[in-house]
Amino acid sequence: MATLSAGNVSAAVRRDWLVGYAMVAPVVLGALAFVVLPLGMVVWYSLHEWNVLANTFTFVGAENYGRMASDDGLADALLASLWFSIGLVVLNIVLALLLAVLLNQRLPGTTTFRTFFFSPVVVSLVAWTIVWSFLLQADGGINGFLAVLGVDGPNWLRHETTAMIAVIIVQVFKNVGLNMILFLAALQGVPEELQEAARLDGAGAWRRFRSITLPLISPTILLVSIITIVGSLEVFAQIDVLTGGGPGNSTTVLVYYLYQQAFRFNEFGYASAIAVLLFVIVLVLTLLQWQSRKRWVFHEV
Amino acid sequence: MSAQHTPPSPRLRAAVAAAATSSLLVLTACGGGTDAPVGEPEAPSEPVDLRMTVWTADEAQLELFQSIADDYVAENPELVSSVTFETIPFEDYTTSLTTQLAGGNAPDLAWIFESNAPEFVASGALVDLRPLLESTDGYALDDIVPSALGLWEDAEGLYAYPFSTSPFAMFVNTDQIAAADQTDPAELVASGEWTFDAARDIAAATAEDSGKQGLVVRDFDYQTWENLATVWSGWAAAPWSEDGTQCTFTEPAMVEAMTWIHDAAFEDGAMPGPGTTADFFAGDAAMTITQISRASALDGSFDWDVVPLPAGPAGKQNVVGQAGIGVFAAGEHPDVAADFLAHFTDPENAEQLAAYFPPPRASLLNAETLADANPSLTAEQLQAVVVEGVEDAVTKPAHKNFAQLSETVRAELDALWTEDADVEAVLTDTCSTITPLLEE
Amino acid sequence: MRSDVLSPRARRGWSRWLLVALLALLSVPFVFPTWWMATSSLKPMSEILRRVPTIWPQDPTLDAYGQVFTLQPFAQQYWNSLYIAALVTIGTMLVAAMAGYAFARIRFPGANALFVLVLVGLLVPSEVTIVPLFRIVNSLGLINTHWPLIVIPILGAPAVLAVFIMRQFFLALPTELEEAGRIDGLGRWGIFWRIALPLSRSALGAVAIFTFLKSWNLYLEPIVYLSSKESFTLPQALTQYVDAYGGPMWNVQLAATTLTVLPVLAVFLVAQKQFVQGLAHSGLKG
Repeated sequence: MATLSAGNVSAAVRRDWLVGYAMVAPVVLGALAFVVLPLGMVVWYSLHEWNVLANTFTFVGAENYGRMASDDGLADALLASLWFSIGLVVLNIVLALLLAVLLNQRLPGTTTFRTFFFSPVVVSLVAWTIVWSFLLQADGGINGFLAVLGVDGPNWLRHETTAMIAVIIVQVFKNVGLNMILFLAALQGVPEELQEAARLDGAGAWRRFRSITLPLISPTILLVSIITIVGSLEVFAQIDVLTGGGPGNSTTVLVYYLYQQAFRFNEFGYASAIAVLLFVIVLVLTLLQWQSRKRWVFHEV
Repeated sequence: MSAQHTPPSPRLRAAVAAAATSSLLVLTACGGGTDAPVGEPEAPSEPVDLRMTVWTADEAQLELFQSIADDYVAENPELVSSVTFETIPFEDYTTSLTTQLAGGNAPDLAWIFESNAPEFVASGALVDLRPLLESTDGYALDDIVPSALGLWEDAEGLYAYPFSTSPFAMFVNTDQIAAADQTDPAELVASGEWTFDAARDIAAATAEDSGKQGLVVRDFDYQTWENLATVWSGWAAAPWSEDGTQCTFTEPAMVEAMTWIHDAAFEDGAMPGPGTTADFFAGDAAMTITQISRASALDGSFDWDVVPLPAGPAGKQNVVGQAGIGVFAAGEHPDVAADFLAHFTDPENAEQLAAYFPPPRASLLNAETLADANPSLTAEQLQAVVVEGVEDAVTKPAHKNFAQLSETVRAELDALWTEDADVEAVLTDTCSTITPLLEE
Repeated sequence: MRSDVLSPRARRGWSRWLLVALLALLSVPFVFPTWWMATSSLKPMSEILRRVPTIWPQDPTLDAYGQVFTLQPFAQQYWNSLYIAALVTIGTMLVAAMAGYAFARIRFPGANALFVLVLVGLLVPSEVTIVPLFRIVNSLGLINTHWPLIVIPILGAPAVLAVFIMRQFFLALPTELEEAGRIDGLGRWGIFWRIALPLSRSALGAVAIFTFLKSWNLYLEPIVYLSSKESFTLPQALTQYVDAYGGPMWNVQLAATTLTVLPVLAVFLVAQKQFVQGLAHSGLKG
């Protein structure tokens, strides 16, 4: 926004400012009370050794942060989070786009399919995860299906790579419907005339998708990828039910690790330090995405 | 918002604040101490409200608790105005309880999982109940089976009452076993040949015949490894030394026991492998090791029996699972809460609780008392499995650093649950990883 | 008004049906779990836990649905969830529309800094701040009330996405419409209420669906803040259907889950057209 000098503004403009402040006041005050204050408290906790059970709360300075450097578990969790987030975001966005494009073809039954793909979004996460844990068993439904195709399916939740893939897939199917709807809406906003013009120019379907559709929906891609990345760092219940963080530490993502430290090991101080780290990571990632938008997001207003 | 969520009246809040301040003073007087013993409660300036967190949501159980509590309120109107039982879902119990503690809203009393017991005992979060229970008329503290208290006491005091002390036993699907022409485990028990090897052979043969699974250690699922204690105890093996400082995963007994488990799963086909869950109660397995209280899950769709745990090379070892009730030092009225606990668990009320939870009191451990609680079990089964199953029983592994150990061992043992695992090498790795945690 | 990736020929004939077949195949992993959930609520426990899931109950029974209502004040809990979600949705729409409008259209000093401050909420997983929030709520004496479940989502982190969506929408709204209002003598407030807000119905629809779903499925917070059964919300109530020994009563839980899911799905089925078109006309389009 343009820089404003407070010196030479009219009373009317000042009144306009006041309206502006009044309109943003609820969310700004809310952010201060329910986001910034709690975050500040978390930072304060992170400077302490806090054992909830023993009721000890001792100032230790930056000790918890020093401890992070030598914590192999944390390094593993960061790596697991990285893989999980990359896998989730890529798969989620590709699948959401694919579904949206398919649903945008005026095929018979589109309304029904749209409801099908959206339905997991409203289903309870626990019920969803439990069904999938049945399906992912060594002799479960998925391997049964693969056997029909002549493929000998892996023991999904018991190998490091497949367990990670399984957790990602379960999460993608659960939430891809929302992103699909956002993409679908964006696709419907792409003007038909542009497509026609390109077609007359002899551009093929793929070429038109890449050169016209993708740039035009890029603001939606940005929004969706921000939401999905932030969401991917909050995954918890699925991991708890499906793998418990295993095998080994392969699916112990950062939030799960944080949860373990805080609520299972009662290390609230250290957990708070991890929370601060998690926050910084999300902040940096989002800033990077936001900064990079100028390079790939078409006509960001 | 709606009527039942109105905040407490100002008067009450003032009383609560006053009580909180006084208990704070008490705590400071005991040197920041948290595990100072409590004595007879002094009447607070106004009767207080007590809150106990539980993980049961069963109406009948909650009604029983409430009726016991109502009697107490009627007898002690100057102490207590109400007792509330707050249900927290099983899965989120520890999270929620910890958040309440961290948020400065500790409940007065709480149910505590056995795996958390040493941590709670060692941390000083709970008050010492022994002096009060010893001095309470008719409480008969010495009626409680000593082995049931081990987990809940240290050199200085006793920190919880183990209201549920439930032996592990072997349930068998006699339909499947008969169909596979295998010997009925009950016969082997009678002839003294009921061993883990015999159980394995029957399980493997039955699984092969039924196309289902053999022996399931319930709730183990290749994650909750501490449930394997029901097996390795037969080898007299344990994950760490009694004082909790030495890793004993590499002791010969443990290596032998773990090799037996590994082979039962990967070579003999006697146990379902990882990634395969089989529910005995749904008829998916020939036998299962679990607590007898699960008998209620049997719906009569097949014939079954329940027998004691088999003997291992080191003989037969009873194993119990427990849950305790403790009083939080950080609660607002620990003395009143402890007095209520003494009422809640006195012999008379313990007998009522026995309708749902196998009691730790010797006087209640007889087939007649237990029959009411377990209508699906015969007197002989109750005698063999429950009454005798509590004698000299061990609990599942526990440690004051248990949460971290449990997670770390789980991650290490994942390497064991593959077909070609080197048992000894995995256990050696496990020991080297957990030794620092044991020494902490 | 639609983009077409495929050539005109592809929209005809067999390749068209091939795409339908592809959609049908893709639907399986989306639909099966929900199908299983709904049909399993008609099965006895032992059948639910069968390793190979049965597609249709062998001996369907509605027993579980009766138990849903006898074991807990389920109707009351349904009402709790419903009114909390409704209040949160309305509150969020209002608050987010105002803030989104001001951030997009009014150039007051510090707007950027304040917007970034608000955006921080988007970046904080709820596990991170649950303990301090609990302390705040506790110190206000609001434990076991619905206040924290209503106020925090409207003003705190969960509302940020709504603010963001509304801001994007108002950024894309042509200024001419507002100019017309200004010429008619409307002040800023009047322009917002009379012109901008009615025009933003589509974006508000998107916000409403997001917000309602989030509140409807909220799990960790109710468990932490609420302690009496009468005040429970649905996701929390579902976990309370357990037998005397803490084992979940799957049939009852699934019946209750089905009861919480079907109405929302039905609303989506009816409203999806408006919803998608609403989004298409909102600032989220290209």
